[in-house]
Amino acid sequence: MSGPAPAPVAVRLHAADSVAVLLHDAAPGATVTITGDGAGATVVATGDIPRHHKIALTDLAEGATMIRNAIAIGRASAPVAAGDWVHVHNLVSAHAAPPSRDGD
Amino acid sequence: MTHPPARQFLGYRRASGRPGVRNFLLVLNVTGLTTVPARRVAAELIGSRLVTMDHGTAITGRHDGPVHATLAGLALHPNVGAVLVLSALRGKAEALLAQLGDSGRPVAAVSLDDTGRDAHAFRAAAVQTGAQLTVEISRQRREPCAWNELMIALECGMSDPTSGLAANPLLGHLTDRLIDAGGAAIFGETTEWLGCEHHLMQRAAIPAIAARIGAAVARRVALAGEAGLDLLGNNPNAANIASGLTTIEDKAIGSVAKSGQRPITAFLEYGERLTGPGLAAQDGPSYTPESLTGLVAAGAQVVLFTTGCGNAYVSRMAPTIKITGNAETADSLPAQFDFCCSDVLRHPSRMAATVDALQDQLLEVASGALTYGEILGEDEEVISRFGETL
Repeated sequence: MSGPAPAPVAVRLHAADSVAVLLHDAAPGATVTITGDGAGATVVATGDIPRHHKIALTDLAEGATMIRNAIAIGRASAPVAAGDWVHVHNLVSAHAAPPSRDGD
Repeated sequence: MTHPPARQFLGYRRASGRPGVRNFLLVLNVTGLTTVPARRVAAELIGSRLVTMDHGTAITGRHDGPVHATLAGLALHPNVGAVLVLSALRGKAEALLAQLGDSGRPVAAVSLDDTGRDAHAFRAAAVQTGAQLTVEISRQRREPCAWNELMIALECGMSDPTSGLAANPLLGHLTDRLIDAGGAAIFGETTEWLGCEHHLMQRAAIPAIAARIGAAVARRVALAGEAGLDLLGNNPNAANIASGLTTIEDKAIGSVAKSGQRPITAFLEYGERLTGPGLAAQDGPSYTPESLTGLVAAGAQVVLFTTGCGNAYVSRMAPTIKITGNAETADSLPAQFDFCCSDVLRHPSRMAATVDALQDQLLEVASGALTYGEILGEDEEVISRFGETL
């Protein structure tokens, strides 16, 4: 079945969350509607984001804790802007080895 | 939904403990030498359910404690009307009966020692005894029970992204409601806490429970290390990452969402029973068959089991409600799912109404409505393994 791609929707599980999970693929510039906690808000995708992947809801500095369902899922390993795809390229587990420091 | 969700079910009152949502004869085989005749006995006793511990005899020392506790937990389960213990050794059967104490339910034991080591005489004696027990329990009737007399077990298997987004949060909401009402719930699958253990420790009602949650995760990570596995190194795996998961924390959140938000008021070892209200964490294996039997032996009358890709396996002793948030999976497996919650993915505002509907379904099943797993017989109980055997 073909037809226009559905307007992308992303689920925010908790009001405290900094990321939401897309229910559809999002193309660059697509306006993503947020459902769940904070329903009605929108965020503009800055790049291609696949279905079931995460989109940032706010700007986050490098090192900032990312929150999903009110639980920390790791920290930003690079600066993140609202609408960015959040995945393993810019999110790292708190269980991962910390960045190396002089003297370590 | 225009009416408030149900708050009562029809259950079997027991002399002690929670009411049963089923009322069957448990054929409990505790030795490997009697497994074959035990299967024949259970097949001849229509309506009975067989649980068998085929390698129970050679487990010794500090490892036999959890096995015996699990066998006792299954025998004392609320859904059990009567127990027929089968054993090669008279002494082993008697030891289990002594461990059960006076639970108020009919129990009997038949051993090969009683029948001159003759398997056919053993089978005939067991069938006769079991038939008499079955008549006795068939006289019991269901009575109204409050829904907070339920203890639910929370399990997931063959998950996909819809599990963490819809089905598991749905279970979390229902769990919160049942705990608030004074009921009980239990979750296990210790390795799936990894990455979220600090969140769970923060929810521990007392520091001792937090410490045990942390220690249980650390022990399983060390066990995996001894077996040459690194639970943190390749977790989430490549398929998880392609599907949208990122970190071990991210993966664990989806699983842990089943347990809701309430304080964790009990920590149980495998085989330990939860007799009071509240939310319990059980240190147990994550593989479904062993995990489910641990949760059921703790006393859960009903299992709520979420899956994304499909998973037919159910508990033999506790009706298992199969739930998915994936509409395509539900459509492709029309005789597997008892409840589909894909609606809440697109319409999260319908979560509360969907929790109502699941509560109604839970109480229907508790009152006797059958699950697909019961009808199709995709059921088993598998007691976990502990230590080496002699």
